[in-house]
Amino acid sequence: MKTWKRVAGITLVASAATAAVAAGTVVYLGLYDVSASDQHKAPVYYLLETALRRSVKLRTTGVTPPPLDDAARIANGFKLFQTHCVQCHGAPGAAPEPFALGLRPEPASLVGAAYEWPAADIRWIIQEGIKMSGMPAWKYRLTDEEIWDVVAFMKVLPRLTPQDYRDWSVRHPPTTTGRPDTGDTALPEDAVRLGDAGAGKMAIQQYLCATCHVIPGVVGANRHVGPALTGMASRQYIAGVLPNTPANMLRWLRDPTSIDPLTAMPDLGITDRDARDIAAFLYTLTEHD
Amino acid sequence: MAGCRDERPPLAPRAVASDLAGADLQRGKQLIGDYGCVACHTVPGVKGSTSTVGPPLAHVGLRGYLGGVLPNTPGNLVRWLLDPPAIDPRTAMPNVGLTTDEAQDIAAYLLTLH
Repeated sequence: MKTWKRVAGITLVASAATAAVAAGTVVYLGLYDVSASDQHKAPVYYLLETALRRSVKLRTTGVTPPPLDDAARIANGFKLFQTHCVQCHGAPGAAPEPFALGLRPEPASLVGAAYEWPAADIRWIIQEGIKMSGMPAWKYRLTDEEIWDVVAFMKVLPRLTPQDYRDWSVRHPPTTTGRPDTGDTALPEDAVRLGDAGAGKMAIQQYLCATCHVIPGVVGANRHVGPALTGMASRQYIAGVLPNTPANMLRWLRDPTSIDPLTAMPDLGITDRDARDIAAFLYTLTEHD
Repeated sequence: MAGCRDERPPLAPRAVASDLAGADLQRGKQLIGDYGCVACHTVPGVKGSTSTVGPPLAHVGLRGYLGGVLPNTPGNLVRWLLDPPAIDPRTAMPNVGLTTDEAQDIAAYLLTLH
């Protein structure tokens, strides 16, 4: 064997061994924070997201979806969605249940998912679930046909206004209800005291803001379901309806539907303290684009 | 990351400019300047647009909702542009008196913003 080949081989093996020892040390010493109170570090987040996309794609190539436009299929999919999905994922104008807000990785906005994922991949994810994400494998609880029914409803979902969704819900009442009362949302103008921006950046993860909005500095906040929150400090209006003052920001965060009954943004049950912290963080977003 | 995406269509198609048959997106871009949209919105590709009154219109083609209330379809975008207060009485965005053709041209341009 030529000398350069031997040197290259030894270098490669030595580098791999060093990397494995370094990774093992980080794991063994418990240095990586597994808490769900904060998001993964950006490199880990993107590694996991890429692993997810590649893994699903590998397992769905060649799957042809059945016809998804049948009205009975869509209606049944909606009922299943109401029973099994909306609690974690929310829907237009409907927030996830409180326990779901604490999940990390956060349950995706399914409006965003329908725009991003092929039908076969969505069916596979419902069927098989995703390890360590809180997404269960439904194939033990739903038939293959029922899973395609849910996919069929998800195809319609992005075209529903919040009012449309409420109308569907009246026609097919949900089986679960209940969220804690976060108290009076009326805030006197003189009581405006913003909180801690650092705490607000973490609270933003807990209310799943990042599943719908682009938010500079927040890992994983790269979806365009709602508008980007870039430059929020210099924005003149909140949600296109309220002059951008700290008092209005708190009112909007705590109860958006009372400000604009038509908004797709749900009332997420944000507490007074968290709203003040989130507002403080949003007002650090000054850069333009 | 974009290289990891595949060629299979997503479950729900996004709104695209070509859904608006006959719309002229170059004229739409011109109209965005003429109607003073940039007085309130930052619009990529339109000169002199740095305003922060309304939200920036970068990525409108990817947006799930228009004005936070209306699912983002080409037809809904045209309806919104023609008369925003008719869709959401609370909105600060005024009716600027566009014709249907003009609204279609502007919508076509906006939907190219990804």
